[in-house]
Amino acid sequence: MAIYLDCNATTPVEPSVSSVVMRFLEKDFGNAASPIHDYGVFALAAVEHARGQVAEVVKVRRDEVIFTSGATESNNLAIFGLAEEGIRSGRRHLITTAIEHKAVLEPFEEMARLGFDVHILPVGADGRFDPQRFADALRPDTFLVSTMQVNNETGVLQPLTEVAEILSNHDAWWHVDAAQGFGKGLEQLRHPRINLISISGHKIYGPKGIGALIARKHERQFPPLRPLMFGGGQEQGLRPGTLPVPLIAGLGEAAKLAVRNNNERAHKCRAFREQALATFLALGAQRNGAEDYTLPHVLNVSLPGINSDLAIKALKNVISVSSTSACTSHTHTPSYVLAAMGLSSEKIEQSIRLSWCHMTPDVDWSEVENILCALRG
Amino acid sequence: MSDIFKELEEVTVEQYDHYDLPKWLADPVLLVARSPELYQGKEYLVEILAAQVREYDVYAEAGCCKWAYDHEDIKRTLRWLED
Repeated sequence: MAIYLDCNATTPVEPSVSSVVMRFLEKDFGNAASPIHDYGVFALAAVEHARGQVAEVVKVRRDEVIFTSGATESNNLAIFGLAEEGIRSGRRHLITTAIEHKAVLEPFEEMARLGFDVHILPVGADGRFDPQRFADALRPDTFLVSTMQVNNETGVLQPLTEVAEILSNHDAWWHVDAAQGFGKGLEQLRHPRINLISISGHKIYGPKGIGALIARKHERQFPPLRPLMFGGGQEQGLRPGTLPVPLIAGLGEAAKLAVRNNNERAHKCRAFREQALATFLALGAQRNGAEDYTLPHVLNVSLPGINSDLAIKALKNVISVSSTSACTSHTHTPSYVLAAMGLSSEKIEQSIRLSWCHMTPDVDWSEVENILCALRG
Repeated sequence: MSDIFKELEEVTVEQYDHYDLPKWLADPVLLVARSPELYQGKEYLVEILAAQVREYDVYAEAGCCKWAYDHEDIKRTLRWLED
């Protein structure tokens, strides 16, 4: 079996997360909304415990965590959930960046159709947007800003600290899509100026189908979100539906481990990165994205003279890698992220994304090098 | 001793010494914290207990929303630990 190097698409599940999920699937299967007997009470206790574990990652209160099905839903709830307030207040200017995930860009397209004025910030060759350009784009009527924490294709951290500073005297709502960075880069998301944070369980060694929108209260008030679905009143009325207790408990366990093992995980990923980087640099690869801002578990490179589709197929028995994000790879369209960074079509077609984790076993890098050399042959 | 039992002991002592956790509640919790051999395999419940002690609030049931844990929550978790 090839070694899995596509952890930005989804991560393997931590063994203790699996155990917790199985417990609530098989034995403790109560409904958290039926706390009239021990089954329901225990389910509710597990949900609240998990809420606290997720809250701890970004140092918010438990009641600021709203469970959803994942970051896509969280992004939609953050963006469309604020639409009514934007219309009511007459502030219709929105800002986002060209390298956001489709789960942000497509809701913004829809917001534009609804009459909002969407400004999309470009990025530089380093894979980051320029805080000065952000400051220049900001207007008195800017209602919502949505910026990702870490890009899913390049692993590049975005300048959130600078944005927080710029927004310190502005009352625009600020949403951060943290699907790729939550539980990895801890400090950035703890900044109190960030109003809304989207997270996903399956990017932090938790189960698929669970995530959360973290909504920081300001002066004891939630951001003025409106629900997108109705019926049941769960999650403070913002996300009705029976809570998936096994998935929520699994997400909580994953969040706990993300904090507890953060340094150890980063250390292992850095060691792995050194070997991967050395291999690809020896092949003359060009790194895509600023090295200084790239998280230690991601490497995006373009290999001169080698088409990425051919490379991925040639390597499939040794390592499993991808050429773009999981949500767009099935369409075989060139990476819009790398295009936004100014890469030529040729470089984009030569790009490979490798992403690993603390559980990734050692790779035979000499075999990888030999296969790619033969391909270039 | 497992980290979670040590954590439970620390947070219970802290809540008893400096905050509102009453002795009648602190004592049975400390008994759990200091008897890890009796609660092997129940670490998940011990973790919940530690969180409940950490967020213990006498007035958790007051007001419109319950966002802290009270003595009923802790008593219930202690009962589950004995099941």
